[in-house]
Amino acid sequence: MARIELTEIQKSWGAVQGVRDVNIDIADEEFIVFLGPSGCGKTTTMRMIAGLEDPSEGRIVMDGEVMNDIDARDRDVAMVFQGYALYPNMTIYENIRFPLRMRGVPRDQHDAKVRRAAEFVELTDYLDRKPGALSGGQRQRAALARAIVRQPQVFLMDEPLSNLDAKLRQAMRVQIKHIQRELKITTVYVTHDQIEAMTLADRIVIMENGAIQQIGTPDQIYNDPANTFVASFIGSPPMNLIEGKLENGAFRAPGIEVANLPTRHSGAVTLGIRPEDCTVAGGSPHLSGTVYGVEPTGDLTYLTVKAGEKLIEVKASREYRASMNKPETVTFDLSRLYLFDTTTGQRLS
Amino acid sequence: MTSQRKKAKGESLTLRYLILGGWALFCLAPVLWFLSIGLRPRTEIITAQPIYFPSFSLDAWHMIWEDWPMAAYLRNSIAAIIGSVIIDLVLAIPAAYSLSRFSYKGRDDIGFYILSTRMMAPAIVAVPIFFLFRNFGLLDTIWALMLIYAAINLSFVTWIIRSYMLDIPKELEDAAKTDGAGEIRILWEIIIPAVLPGIITASVIAMIFAINEFLFTLLIASTPDAYTMSVALSNFTGGSDGVIYNAIALVAFLAFVPVFLVVVAIQKHLSRGLTMGALKG
Ligand SMILES: Nc1ncnc2c1ncn2[C@@H]1O[C@H](COP(=O)(O)OP(=O)(O)OP(=O)(O)O)[C@@H](O)[C@H]1O
Ligand SMILES: [Mg+2]
Repeated sequence: MARIELTEIQKSWGAVQGVRDVNIDIADEEFIVFLGPSGCGKTTTMRMIAGLEDPSEGRIVMDGEVMNDIDARDRDVAMVFQGYALYPNMTIYENIRFPLRMRGVPRDQHDAKVRRAAEFVELTDYLDRKPGALSGGQRQRAALARAIVRQPQVFLMDEPLSNLDAKLRQAMRVQIKHIQRELKITTVYVTHDQIEAMTLADRIVIMENGAIQQIGTPDQIYNDPANTFVASFIGSPPMNLIEGKLENGAFRAPGIEVANLPTRHSGAVTLGIRPEDCTVAGGSPHLSGTVYGVEPTGDLTYLTVKAGEKLIEVKASREYRASMNKPETVTFDLSRLYLFDTTTGQRLS
Repeated sequence: MTSQRKKAKGESLTLRYLILGGWALFCLAPVLWFLSIGLRPRTEIITAQPIYFPSFSLDAWHMIWEDWPMAAYLRNSIAAIIGSVIIDLVLAIPAAYSLSRFSYKGRDDIGFYILSTRMMAPAIVAVPIFFLFRNFGLLDTIWALMLIYAAINLSFVTWIIRSYMLDIPKELEDAAKTDGAGEIRILWEIIIPAVLPGIITASVIAMIFAINEFLFTLLIASTPDAYTMSVALSNFTGGSDGVIYNAIALVAFLAFVPVFLVVVAIQKHLSRGLTMGALKG
């Protein structure tokens, strides 16, 4: 229920720069996911949206109103904190009820709302306990329940599922998406989990070192990575990035040769190819090397091929087996090749 | 084999209790001795011959309640101590919150300054304090005692509570803020409950200091209007009757019992509080 615009946001503590040049325009009702390695500034950005941290520079606008000088308690956001931040002296019930009391929700609605939120995170049996008597995952769910118990303008969720087992995480993920759609609440969500990011997000924001690397839909991020960082961050296993030379439309690296590439570029380039776009053997192979490792996972087999000094990941069929050091060839799907400038890492069109 | 081990374990437990019991007896011996002196006739206490079967007497008991205004002393002590602890908490909690949460210029200096009030000998300020209270017409009142006890204890009460507050993660307050709570609410509903063990610890230590305070009480109190137990003790010495040992012992014991009970009741908090307060800040 709110549009959030971050313009030229900088955040530094003395010499430490946590966040730089952040520009995001989050649409009303949008589900935005921040994805990036540890320490890249996700939590800091979120705290600035919440009003818990003042940006050193830049503007935060919500629904047309400049929020920079508005106190956290006067911004209508609900946040799930990375460290849960449950009130230790209150029971889980009182924890979940706290925002209702503070925001002046009529008393007769409290019980129903608290129970609904607890049900949602499957914690109804633990309402009488204090946070200290819960497991990490239960605490995390209590923190989630406290955030969703009321209907704020904005949800901010900092890795709300990081401590749950795979099954519960999957269930919670579906639930979060469902209430976000149902209540139409603008949501900013931080995660380390790519699957979570891809499945939940309307748009993904990839950050590194305090700066945004790319903003786009999950499809755009996956299919059109803006640079080598994004390309190597998304996908599992990540995209193969092969440094080599491009001359007259032919790319060469030890053990690898790809012809018929655009002739616009030349010189030192990095070729990117995802493991799922590689085929073992094939008609006219682009790579010849030796088998370095074979990892059957059940539904497919991860094959690592060594070409020159470079290790290339390939997703092979589930039947594929090969012994170590056996010569092997790989064909790339030429329509799914990416070229990057080796020095800047930027994508070449 | 297992029964043997069980037996050995039982034995070691008995041994442990024996040792601890012996130690407790050793520590409590002076207290029990006090009590026994307090409950014997006066003649039996000052005799030179050892007495193997002491006789029991409530002479001292009657004396302190009937001949002396012991009830008033007790009331004065309790009122002055409780009042001083309340004053301390009302002042120390906001001060500690400010010192632990907000950063402002000179904060650490203020913190050190508060602590430094404990560093000088109290006698240095005795005379100025006497004149101060005289000018305010507070001499020989329990209000003066409340104020002076509160002043003596304020610094370390603030310090202990502050060290507890430093342990509260900042995220907790951030969460309360985003949930819509104001500063006063946060202090009252989040911070104070979280530092309650520290508040209890600080209060008990303040009580113990206050109950033992002698110098300033003697200075301020001159009639039973303001005499406390600690000063009353000195009333049983001197005078035409000489030193009345059994009454002294009984009063000392009576002063000891409430503190002892409070400490036992909260000892779990206390030991944690003492070490934490010692290690932090
Ligand atoms: N209060 C602070 N003072 C100084 N530096 C800080 C402060 N808070 C964060 N930083 C720095 O800012 C950077 C970004 O931190 P942030 O917490 O936003 O990372 P993050 O992306 O959330 O990481 P993670 O995934 O590990 O939670 C880090 O390098 C961190 O050390
Ligand atoms: Mg973080």
